[in-house]
Amino acid sequence: MASKGFKQEMPPPGGYGPIEWAKQVPQKKLSGYAQFGLFIGFTLGAWVVYHFQKNQRRREDLEMRDARLAVTPLVEAERARLFLKQLRENRDEENELMKNVEGWKTGTLWGEPAYYNVRDRFISPSTEEYFAHCKYWEKFYAVHDKLNH
Amino acid sequence: MPFTNADYLPSYEELTVPELELTSAALRAGAHHFGKYCDSQCKEFMLCSKEERDPRKCLAEGKEVTRCGFEFFGKVKRNCYQEFTKYFQCIDHSDRQMSLRNCRKTQAVFDKCIKDKLDQDRPELGHFAAVRIHHTDRPKPQPKPHQLPERIVDPPDFSKLPPPKNPYPPTQI
Repeated sequence: MASKGFKQEMPPPGGYGPIEWAKQVPQKKLSGYAQFGLFIGFTLGAWVVYHFQKNQRRREDLEMRDARLAVTPLVEAERARLFLKQLRENRDEENELMKNVEGWKTGTLWGEPAYYNVRDRFISPSTEEYFAHCKYWEKFYAVHDKLNH
Repeated sequence: MPFTNADYLPSYEELTVPELELTSAALRAGAHHFGKYCDSQCKEFMLCSKEERDPRKCLAEGKEVTRCGFEFFGKVKRNCYQEFTKYFQCIDHSDRQMSLRNCRKTQAVFDKCIKDKLDQDRPELGHFAAVRIHHTDRPKPQPKPHQLPERIVDPPDFSKLPPPKNPYPPTQI
């Protein structure tokens, strides 16, 4: 049933082109030699830059290590004094705490020394002994203070 | 506590000296020049603390280090106050590690001031990280001799004894 305005679709004038049945291979932009050359060139360049930066980084690290080592005696001296002050405080505290206990000798367990120390070495007390007269959280914060930095 | 009343612990008066109250940025800024200025005292103290392994015996050396720190930073404050302040403020805002690499300009100004006023060059790279030899008059510490228990009697000479009798003779079938 034909109606007004109907138009039969027809092939373009001259007909359709030939059907592409062959495999479509993209054209090479760089040859194999050029690709290998680029790879080797970039790798060598990166190698040079890496070594340059590594030496520079080592110099900077060494400088920072110098700075830390130089002030270490100053910090260590002050720290040793604070440490000994706390040891003295602990001993005084134990004297005060156990003054009413008959037969108690400070630094020993009923007269028996805590350590076998014939050569008279300095024995650094354990953390629990050092913070024996503190609260638990005071010890906790003192021990884990490094986690805050 | 491992310390009895008979053990020596220094009193509070011996332990209380004016402490150098400087922030970490200032310490880092002046570290190289401080280490060179107080070279002898620092080496003496570190040698003492490593040899003796006893903080009670190195108090005098430690106090000497702190006194030398006061002397050096006092000189810096008198002579190079502006330069030093700019330098350590730069380091304080450098990065998280307070690196020195971001502050070369202010460092050069500070170094020049130290060179002019204190007549001291910046130590070369790796000066403090290298092994340095220190000559001291302090005698090398000798620990007390160890008291060993009495020696137990030696066993008899088995080569001159007759062969022992076998307590388990082979069974006769």
